[in-house]
Amino acid sequence: MSSLPNYGRRQARGGQLWAEPLAPVSGNGHMAPYRGQTYYDRPAIKPSHYRWLITGYLFSGGIAGASQIIATVADLFGGREHRGAVRAGRYVALAAAMASPVCLILDLHTPKRWYNMMRIFRPTSPMSIGSWTLAGFGTFTGVAALGQLISDLTGGVLGRGLARFGGVPAAAGGMVMSCYTGSLLSATSVPFWAAVHRLLPPLFGTSAMSTGAAATSIALDATGASEAAHKGLERIALAASATELVLTLACDKEWKAQHVDSPIEHRPDMARAYKIGVLGFGILVPLVIHAVQVLTGRRSKVATKVADASALAGGFVQRAVMTFGGNDSAERPRDYFRFAQPAANGRGVAA
Amino acid sequence: MSAVNYAETELSNPQARLTLESHPVHPFPVPERGTQYQDSILKGLIPDESELTAGVKIEPGTAYGFFTDTSLCIGCKACEVACKEWNNLPADGPFENDHGRLALSGQSYDNTGRLSCTTWRHVAFVEQPGRATEMAPFQSQWLMMSDVCKHCVRAACLEACPTGALFRTEFDTVVVQQDVCNGCGYCVPSCPFGVIETNAHDGKAHKCTLCYDRLKGGLEPACAKSCPTNSIQFGPVDELLRRAERRVHDLHEQGARSAYLYGAPGGPGATAGIERLNAFFLLLDRPEVYGLPAAPTLPSTRVRAGLLNGLLTMAGLALAAAAAITTTRRS
Repeated sequence: MSSLPNYGRRQARGGQLWAEPLAPVSGNGHMAPYRGQTYYDRPAIKPSHYRWLITGYLFSGGIAGASQIIATVADLFGGREHRGAVRAGRYVALAAAMASPVCLILDLHTPKRWYNMMRIFRPTSPMSIGSWTLAGFGTFTGVAALGQLISDLTGGVLGRGLARFGGVPAAAGGMVMSCYTGSLLSATSVPFWAAVHRLLPPLFGTSAMSTGAAATSIALDATGASEAAHKGLERIALAASATELVLTLACDKEWKAQHVDSPIEHRPDMARAYKIGVLGFGILVPLVIHAVQVLTGRRSKVATKVADASALAGGFVQRAVMTFGGNDSAERPRDYFRFAQPAANGRGVAA
Repeated sequence: MSAVNYAETELSNPQARLTLESHPVHPFPVPERGTQYQDSILKGLIPDESELTAGVKIEPGTAYGFFTDTSLCIGCKACEVACKEWNNLPADGPFENDHGRLALSGQSYDNTGRLSCTTWRHVAFVEQPGRATEMAPFQSQWLMMSDVCKHCVRAACLEACPTGALFRTEFDTVVVQQDVCNGCGYCVPSCPFGVIETNAHDGKAHKCTLCYDRLKGGLEPACAKSCPTNSIQFGPVDELLRRAERRVHDLHEQGARSAYLYGAPGGPGATAGIERLNAFFLLLDRPEVYGLPAAPTLPSTRVRAGLLNGLLTMAGLALAAAAAITTTRRS
């Protein structure tokens, strides 16, 4: 092809400059930030309009999915003393599953056309995957909750059977519900989201599990539950928080390596929310409390309540930082141009 | 008609003939049919008018696009105006003064600012610093470029759309069906070029349609028709690509060595699964200088691995939960 892209004055040195990395920093393959010219520093991509409603959905959808998983696992593997956790999990899942579509539909610019989401299925679009998942998950969650209600009122086998009939497919949907929102954000062109596309779904999944366990635990307290049920939830929350810590640190590393960490680096409000809210309240506080209580085998009701409230607050802040951080990131042309350098793609950003 | 005028000029002025032969104004021959329309008032629509204005008969099943040759752009913004006129788009802009009125940007002649839901052509102005006497004798390094939706062969917005409102037309262009779009806004952060945008007033997503309605009526898109220097050329993409490569070759021969194609297959702009931009560009500096990414990626390539990781993690946590429940069991 005669059209070798040479980029002006650099032509003298020859070669296809666009296909070369900007400037390798060291032997680890990391590249420097984009320091070249931009177009008046104007954003090169458009930010999403997503704000608190989507933050709320990322939060509630995760709780719904994870608490349904917890309820079904406790139903299948637990004994009579775990029935409180099963009941709490199913009702929490129902409440969160009912809040989720409300958030999503209110966020549409044309809410009365929400049903057009059911017009097609598009596997390339996490928004479409999620719409269908939510529809199926919501239906089975409703069936499970109805069975639970019948069981609570009559105490018979019929209700428990119906609840399990709805609960198992609902838990399968819950697996997708709790983590696909990570793909929803990262399957865009926004550097802050897209750079961590392999890590964000697992991260959201672990956060969903810790917030789901916390919400179930609070609901359990309200209905007066057995110690065994609480201990089970505590261990689940511990596993989730520990995994969440690892994944959060991995994300942090990836953002820095790809020079797209501006929202939590150069925005004081988001940096504070990230350090105190996400790392502190969301992960460290519940992690320490749960670890101590699991290791000593003794449980303080107050400490559990603190851990639950802290995990829920931190989980919400995490979703908020991700939502608003992405919008901030999209407004920074240098982050995007750095993300859209050829060598960056070779580093696993895209297939 | 223009073809007739050129012929007359050639006959009456031998010097003009020289100029026209060495610098042909039309990249295509105007068909003879063009001479039939000499009245200043037309009796009706000219069938297949695009044959006269772009040398192309528009037929479904062929991929059409734009070749925007920025080395010819003079920054007149006729394309912006023609687009707004034809598509009934409001006069607006991102720059406002203290009274909330439209204002100047202070950034060269670009007061349009950006592509948006109501601006589907945007002329960028880049004034490279330096003294005129030290610069290469070519456009004084004053770059102008009419930006537009790229109508990607694999389009991020289309792949993101959950309602099917965004669809691929019979002309291989990408268009939003306004009666289907519910304004979820997912296409907006998905577009790697920052083109599509939702409009808060009507609650739908909007972008360039490559004048879908005009193509159906046998008319060339408004911006291309209005372009006085043929910087914006409309036609079948294959033909445009051939023409563009010839143009790059010619420019290189004339000394403008920096010219290259953005969006041609295998080149910058058509990276990582995007394959080709049906609206592609001839640029004279790095893509970033014009506000374009050097190697955009297709967002849908970021779905599978992450989702799989997420599901594996959830499966692991479910197993951990089963262990937690089993170990706390008494009965």
